[in-house]
Amino acid sequence: MKSKRAPVKQPISKSIIRVDSRAKLRGEAQYVSDWEFENMLYARTFRSTKAKAKILSIEIPDIPEGYFIVDKNDVPGVNRMRTVVSDHPLFAEDNVQYIGQPILLVVGPDREGIDSIYSQIKPEYQEETPLLTLEEAEKHSKVFTDYNYKKEDPEKAFANAHRIIEDSFSTGYQEHVYLEPQGIAAEFKDDTLFVYGSMQCPFYVEGALMDAMDMPKEKIRVVQTVTGGAFGGKEEFPSLNGCHVAIAAKKTGHPVSMIYDRDEDILCSTKRHPSKVRFKAALDENDDLVGLDIDVLLNAGAYNGLSPVVLQRAIFSATNVYHIKNLNVRGRNYMTNVLPSGAYRGFGAPQTIFAIEMLFYNIAKKLGVDPLEYKMRHLLKQADSTCTGGCVREEVKMPEIIEKIVKSSDYYNKLKNNKKYQGIGISLFLHGCGFTGKGESVINGKIELIKNKDIVTFKVSSVEMGQGAETVLRKIVAETLEIPIEKVIYETVDTGKVPDSGPTVASRTTMIVGGLLQKTAMQMKERWDDLENLELTNNYKQPKYLSWDDENFRGDCYPVHSWGANVAEVEIDPVTYELTVKKLHAVFDVGVPIDERALIGQMEGGVVQGVGWATIEVMGSDLGRLKQANLTDYKIPTSMDVPEIDCDFVLNPYEFGPFGAKCAGELSFVGSPPAVAAAVAHAMGKAINHLPITPEVLMEMDNED
Amino acid sequence: MVDGIRPKSLKKALEILSEQQFTIMASGTDLMVQRARGFALAPEFEKPLLFIEHLSELKKIYIENDEIHIGACAILTDIMHSEIIPPVLKDIIGQMASPPTRNMATLAGNICNASPAGDSLPYLYAVDAKIVLQSSDEKRTMHVSEFITAAKKTVLKANELVTDIIIPNKVYSHNVYRRLGQRKGMSLTKASLLGMADIEEGKIIDIRIALGAVSAIIARSKEIEESLKNKKTEDLKTDVAEILAKYDPLIKPIDDARSTAKYRKKVSLNLIKDFLENLN
Amino acid sequence: MKIDFTLNNKEISIDVDANRRLLDLLRDDFGMKSVKEGCGEGECGACVVLVNGRSMNSCMLPAGAIIGKSVVTLEGFKHTERYKAIESGFLKAGSVQCGFCTPGFVISTESLLNENPHPTDDEIKEALSGNLCRCTGYNMIVKGVRLAIEMGEGLW
Repeated sequence: MKSKRAPVKQPISKSIIRVDSRAKLRGEAQYVSDWEFENMLYARTFRSTKAKAKILSIEIPDIPEGYFIVDKNDVPGVNRMRTVVSDHPLFAEDNVQYIGQPILLVVGPDREGIDSIYSQIKPEYQEETPLLTLEEAEKHSKVFTDYNYKKEDPEKAFANAHRIIEDSFSTGYQEHVYLEPQGIAAEFKDDTLFVYGSMQCPFYVEGALMDAMDMPKEKIRVVQTVTGGAFGGKEEFPSLNGCHVAIAAKKTGHPVSMIYDRDEDILCSTKRHPSKVRFKAALDENDDLVGLDIDVLLNAGAYNGLSPVVLQRAIFSATNVYHIKNLNVRGRNYMTNVLPSGAYRGFGAPQTIFAIEMLFYNIAKKLGVDPLEYKMRHLLKQADSTCTGGCVREEVKMPEIIEKIVKSSDYYNKLKNNKKYQGIGISLFLHGCGFTGKGESVINGKIELIKNKDIVTFKVSSVEMGQGAETVLRKIVAETLEIPIEKVIYETVDTGKVPDSGPTVASRTTMIVGGLLQKTAMQMKERWDDLENLELTNNYKQPKYLSWDDENFRGDCYPVHSWGANVAEVEIDPVTYELTVKKLHAVFDVGVPIDERALIGQMEGGVVQGVGWATIEVMGSDLGRLKQANLTDYKIPTSMDVPEIDCDFVLNPYEFGPFGAKCAGELSFVGSPPAVAAAVAHAMGKAINHLPITPEVLMEMDNED
Repeated sequence: MVDGIRPKSLKKALEILSEQQFTIMASGTDLMVQRARGFALAPEFEKPLLFIEHLSELKKIYIENDEIHIGACAILTDIMHSEIIPPVLKDIIGQMASPPTRNMATLAGNICNASPAGDSLPYLYAVDAKIVLQSSDEKRTMHVSEFITAAKKTVLKANELVTDIIIPNKVYSHNVYRRLGQRKGMSLTKASLLGMADIEEGKIIDIRIALGAVSAIIARSKEIEESLKNKKTEDLKTDVAEILAKYDPLIKPIDDARSTAKYRKKVSLNLIKDFLENLN
Repeated sequence: MKIDFTLNNKEISIDVDANRRLLDLLRDDFGMKSVKEGCGEGECGACVVLVNGRSMNSCMLPAGAIIGKSVVTLEGFKHTERYKAIESGFLKAGSVQCGFCTPGFVISTESLLNENPHPTDDEIKEALSGNLCRCTGYNMIVKGVRLAIEMGEGLW
């Protein structure tokens, strides 16, 4: 539980009490399920029980007055959820493609009344043969998206290779389990549509509503309510349930609130993409890894949705912190008749980074060399070209990070301990900051900063969802202007009040939006004494040195990276195969911490989520239905399941980040799974190529021979 | 409309039960979840509810005739705090559910639920616990293995209440309880081992072994235990393979959302082996 | 069924279905919105309230089971000195991120310290193991409890 860290000299890093904590402690924070509207109706979603079927008919019972059925016929505009690929129908048309797919809403003033109607609805299905696994999808070549990029000459590298090693890895689902289930409400005030809810991206929801309701932007207001956790699970999903309640509000003429049951939330909301990653590695006469052929397969589920961008980050993170001269990287999103996969902290990178970390581990073991030393032979350095032929412009502090963590964890001494069932493992990792590729330019994020005497209000579309955005952004403005934080107001994130500074995703809030705020605050500072009132706006501009060819995936896919290393110490009970992660050491380069305690809070949270994904969070599907579909069966870490965590930072100010800050939120997740896997591999003396690592898996492994 | 009655005494409760059918309700930790219908909805019950958790006659924990009586509605947290409860049973209860749930749940509730994964059951089977059932005209006392007839099935009649659980007032010299869940925090049991033994001068005087969650009814064999009596603990190491072979057919686990049959079997046998080999 | 109980030290007498969950009674009938529904099956602890001083999952308690008992939610507890100590500890430690689990942790902390004023770290973790948090990784919550004990010297 100790947090040993080197003294952080930057004044901005000094921790303050988070500004939203007191209201939450007093139970006064109003989450959407706490809101009440006059004449409010409740909505409940009726969902498909078939993985793939035609809907021949739906028998609806007599509906008492005051109750409504809302379905595809009630969609004023386009019956599709707007996102990267707008293929998910808001309400099923004549077919369903996954168990849990929304078909219609039952809406009414009383939940018992709704339940009664709900239980009498009888769809008639004509079942079709679903594709239920990644294997089946691969066999049938059911591909949504197929990406490929190359670097230098992989064919030659393999032709000249002294040794070619093949290996493959897989990872499973992960459910966010934000403590506040999905919730959203809608009402019309005169002819303006208001949608309130737990969400990360109000402007995404606004766009989706414009399509679904066939309404102009000016007539739509999307308001973020206090959000009880998100982690990506409320990135694109609220565009779906937001349209549902809006359509229901229009049809019924009443405000409509829809709060998901936890079981329902698990059944149908997006999950982390299960993955398979296959490598062919070309080694030269020095046993250096000079060529990689990487094939990334993601299970996108029944609809593509946001998955192309997840796939992009997965393939752009596939070489992780390593400089691999020759590359052929392919990525495919497969369609299966299971619930759609979507955004989740790390966004494709955890899958490929786990894979390449364990590839390096396995190759090193084969060669009889120390895995850490083998990894260090291939580390990227400043000015090296990235996997897409961009440039690593920042100083790469990996050597310092590694030195720090090796020392604090006593890595090499513990590695010498060859006692079976005890292990130590190290992972090295990065995270590209901000949107992938052209994303930031497309968003062209905008912020507003308004001075009114001695009070400054800033308007952004970034939301506070527990990560500390409100505290960090207010702090950036306050410190730049040198005014007390109490004088800085963070405007409610309401699309009618704030400009679109972009969604709260991709670990971009502090660096991109905070950076823009700092830049604008500096402009305001210069004119502070001259003007009593002042309004400034700014749009995000990519640093000029960046270039990205989105057609061929060449250039700088990220403006800068954050870096890190994790060391995990594990113990396995030889009688029961229970796995205990005893300690997790972490050292991160996030540029400069804006608030040390808030940052450590994020890092510890991310590390624990990563440990959960790697060990106890088991989610499979059987015949298209999730096997672990409630909190009794799907287990996340409790206070008794967390390792002792040690978190430290290395300073590396980024020129274009506020006070030098880079990204952190997702970096925190990426490192612990491969560190744990490497530690288990050390403990068991066997390769760990699959997550999660459960006692059942360890038992089988131990009894193989 | 689900109605409920909260009788003022046990006598009254039994009278009411003799006249009408009810669903017996203590604090609801099993029934309110089993019958749950979702967000903001009340769980479904066909019969009215008879609330009994408050009945003081059912909360007593005391020793009589060298037996410990535990009232049916004694709360798990209170059983854990009671000085007369054997430490191993406190340990078992302390690993059931979670702290807030233990503040509500009752031992009788766990027994009447009769789940193969019921955590109180291995101990009760191992010590030949007795269950007392009362109706307005009869009081029956029976062994727990007579009370539970199959997974989730008991002989409790519609007009009866479980009123007491009786266990020997005995603490064994060696006690091992190992429970496996999906994580260290609260979770349903995948497999468990309870091993208790009285060892004197290296010889087994009495030994009890019960396995949880790996069969429809708790796995325990008096025959195997008898065969181990009077053995020297140092001899167990040589005999252990033979002993495990005897336990093997009793262990009939399943695959489910939480674990695999193969794992449950292997680990159960490992736990028995570990218990026997470390008895000295 | 007639239900007489005490809610935040106020005597209440209502007539409701016997199987009504205490959680819904508190949120919908009495406006106690600090009590949250996180799962409805006793797994997450977001719904815990104090019943006769002990933390219990209100999503599993039927109305008939609280007759004659004292129920305390954060709406009542937040006016106490003990709450202030917990609040100070949690603020200083950074125990709150998204806040949805927070009321449950405050209640469980009070329940723990009421019974055991000087717990070890392991005892704290065990006592809080029925409350899930997805944001913090728990360290800062345990620290918050530790600080609450220091700051609330003599209160428990």
